Amino acid sequence: MNCIIKMWLGICLCLIIGKHASAQSDSTSILIGHILYPPGDSARSTALQKLVSRGEPATFPFLAAINDKKIFLLDGQPVTTGLPQQAADGSEVFEVFLLYPKSVPVLNSDGIPKLLPVSSLEQISISRSDRLLMIPILPFLNLANPDPKKRIIAYGQLLNSADSSKISVLSGALNLEKDKEALTAGKEILFQLELEQAKSETVAKAYIDSLDSNWGENVTLILKNYATSGKLEGAKKYAAEKVTDLEGLQGRIQKAQNLFSGISLGSILILIALGLAIVYGLAGIINMAHGEFLMIGAYTTFCVQKLFIDILGIKSDLFFFVSLPVSFLIAGVFGLILEKLVIRHLYSRPLESLLATWGVSLIMVQLARSIFGDLTAVKAPSFLAGGYQVMPHLILPYNRLFIIGLTIIVVSLTYLMLYRSRLGIQIRAVTQNRSMSACLGVETRKVDAITFFLGSGLAGLAGCAMTLIGNVVPDMGQTYIVDSFLVVVTGGVGKIAGAILSGLGIGFLTKVLESFYEAVYGKVLILALIVIFLQFKPRGLFPDKGRIAED
Amino acid sequence: MEKTKDLRFYLAFLVLFAVLLPLGNLTGLVSNNTISLWGRYFCFAIAALGVDLIWGYTGILSMCQAFFFCLGGYSVAMHIVMKGASANGTGIPDFMVWNQVNSLPFFWVPFQSFGLALILGLLIPAAFAFVFGYFIFRSRIKGVYMAIITQALALAMWLLFLRNETMLGGTNGLTDFKSLLGLSLSSPAVKLGLYLISLAGLCGAYFLSKKLVDSKFGKVLQAIRDSESRTSYTAYRVLDYKLAIFIAGALLAAFAGMLYAPQTGIITPGRMDVRASVEMVMWVALGGRGKLKGAVLGALVVNFLYSICTSLFPDSWLFILGFLFVITVLYFDKGFLGMIEKISGGIGKRKSSIKEVAEQQVV
Repeated sequence: MNCIIKMWLGICLCLIIGKHASAQSDSTSILIGHILYPPGDSARSTALQKLVSRGEPATFPFLAAINDKKIFLLDGQPVTTGLPQQAADGSEVFEVFLLYPKSVPVLNSDGIPKLLPVSSLEQISISRSDRLLMIPILPFLNLANPDPKKRIIAYGQLLNSADSSKISVLSGALNLEKDKEALTAGKEILFQLELEQAKSETVAKAYIDSLDSNWGENVTLILKNYATSGKLEGAKKYAAEKVTDLEGLQGRIQKAQNLFSGISLGSILILIALGLAIVYGLAGIINMAHGEFLMIGAYTTFCVQKLFIDILGIKSDLFFFVSLPVSFLIAGVFGLILEKLVIRHLYSRPLESLLATWGVSLIMVQLARSIFGDLTAVKAPSFLAGGYQVMPHLILPYNRLFIIGLTIIVVSLTYLMLYRSRLGIQIRAVTQNRSMSACLGVETRKVDAITFFLGSGLAGLAGCAMTLIGNVVPDMGQTYIVDSFLVVVTGGVGKIAGAILSGLGIGFLTKVLESFYEAVYGKVLILALIVIFLQFKPRGLFPDKGRIAED
Repeated sequence: MEKTKDLRFYLAFLVLFAVLLPLGNLTGLVSNNTISLWGRYFCFAIAALGVDLIWGYTGILSMCQAFFFCLGGYSVAMHIVMKGASANGTGIPDFMVWNQVNSLPFFWVPFQSFGLALILGLLIPAAFAFVFGYFIFRSRIKGVYMAIITQALALAMWLLFLRNETMLGGTNGLTDFKSLLGLSLSSPAVKLGLYLISLAGLCGAYFLSKKLVDSKFGKVLQAIRDSESRTSYTAYRVLDYKLAIFIAGALLAAFAGMLYAPQTGIITPGRMDVRASVEMVMWVALGGRGKLKGAVLGALVVNFLYSICTSLFPDSWLFILGFLFVITVLYFDKGFLGMIEKISGGIGKRKSSIKEVAEQQVV
């Protein structure tokens, strides 16, 4: 009698679950039914063992749920829970996923994923001894994980495990694979396993070619291993050739990547050094607080974001476009205040101005720390996430591209301002000869103030851009200030072209040297190079000529 | 007049620090902590003398003095750590064992001997200052350029010392100092002894520097400060003078660092970052640049203020320091010393004018 009921239950489940399944997986659904509603004392263990030995990738989500002790029943179907979320009343609810035959979220009638509290699900407890039966298949379970990153890791763990039984499981899993990156990673492992098994040279060479064209993360390593410890002589040679080709290609890609990060670092340095160079050239002011205007720009961006999201409730990327001009203005206004209060009294006394502005920077950093705390971050706008893929393994992140673009625009605007506007000609006149310009009716004080506003504003803009690639911390300005001073020194005082050229040069050299040595040694080498450079060009790349150059 | 005033000043200084404080310590009125604190201030004052020689008298703004200071400090610290390690029987300092270093790096070997450690502690900074200074002064880098380049040097060296693979203790620096020449560094008598040595060192450094700036050599330095090109037109080899004073400043800083390390019991790269160097310059600026007394006064006062402020209102020290920087540079070009002279000068003038009026009335 008891037996009949259980049989009936099993058939029912088979009907519920296996609606779309083929004849082969019909028996799989029966086994799943046995696990959920065991008809006999040992039926659950037997069914589990059978499922494990079959190693069907479609059952992996189900088995993984058992392994994680997160298997529940919902309307008679096995389900598992996803990440916890906050319900409207503050309680914890979960997204619910169906497990077999497909791992999909359970939808309500509107087609939106259902969110349920754990209490509304019926947990199935499966004994530890039963769970231990799954040990042979554990490495594979994550192959069906909904997160592609986890799947890539799971594929990676199968590397170098020469076991022919894995091939069928792996190829089954790959048939279900949708994600492009995970597919590449998985195929790499599959080809590697096949290569190990290959009996004839042609087959081995074919797999080497497949590995090459698949071009995954570890392809060089795999081929290298094969070239030293493979079984077939001809194929070993072929693999070695491929390794040299690949390494050459990777070297070139690495170079391109270095070039790109050098340009991107250089453009940040240019953004910072531009304001510094103009101000120093004009007024002989070494502004150690320049980095703090960068910090102000970054915090302005942070505040604008807070304002948009928390107060106005606008959750779009609009805030970033608003914060660009706002951070320019705010940093500029702070610069203006500093100019009026302190700098004004220190014109043409560079060493004194250096010390006074150092004091100002101490105050500003401490002020930021007491207002904002130690670490805040701006969430980068989503349209700048990701990168432009030039070719496999060469991705240019959008945020860095954006910074490069911004630098080009800002530099062009500054150029136009300096060389094509009335203000520009006044600034250049005061830079060349302050008293003569004053005699000819240029209001030097006003020009000073405007220049300082512009210089600080440029730093603020740089700070706004910096939020894209790093955290917002009170002493973020000091990280870059020494470097940007080096840019000014190398470029020649008050020269835009000099700042651009040396900014790019220093950024590029830093990244190139960093790729050869550690970052620190790169920095030491850069310093040595600059000192050597100054032996030949003591007044920078573009020194003033003629009488201006004299003391 | 000036000389007797100076003498009175020195006498007051010596009575206070060489007699009263040690006596107070022996009778238990002054805590050991205070003694060792002032001992450290004297070290800072010695380094400040170096800054004043370079910046105040020669007009070269060097922003890497803290690096030289640390070179001296590290050499003594390395010796103490080595002694501690050989007492343990391992022969290799603890932090290296933690980093899986099994044999002593070659540059640690000489520091097993105290004499060599002392010599190297002075020789390395001097050699460094010579090489770096030679290339910088040769290309006639000066003023702001010099400040920036030396700042970059300080930054680069700081980064280098932060690394673990340079075998200098990384971020944690060198610590756990037990004994120096067989004397336990934690005993009050040794602390007092180090205090007195630092005081003697400060006095010695002061009088040597005084001799230097009063000599013809010192006059040339001031001539370079006031107009470098004119000095070179009168056939002085400016490069040699600048190089010599740069090395002298580095030596003073290193000497100070050597006295400093055993008194604090720890030396970390944090002592040599850019900020530490700028602070050294600030002591001199606040005390009064171009006056040796000013440098000593500035270093002592600022550090004394620092210990008071950090215990009373810990968050606001940077505000206070920042405002001090700005106000001094803007309004008290000659620092505390200038301020004192102005005030006492004003009082003196008034006194004399009162006298005159009184005399007139008598007549």
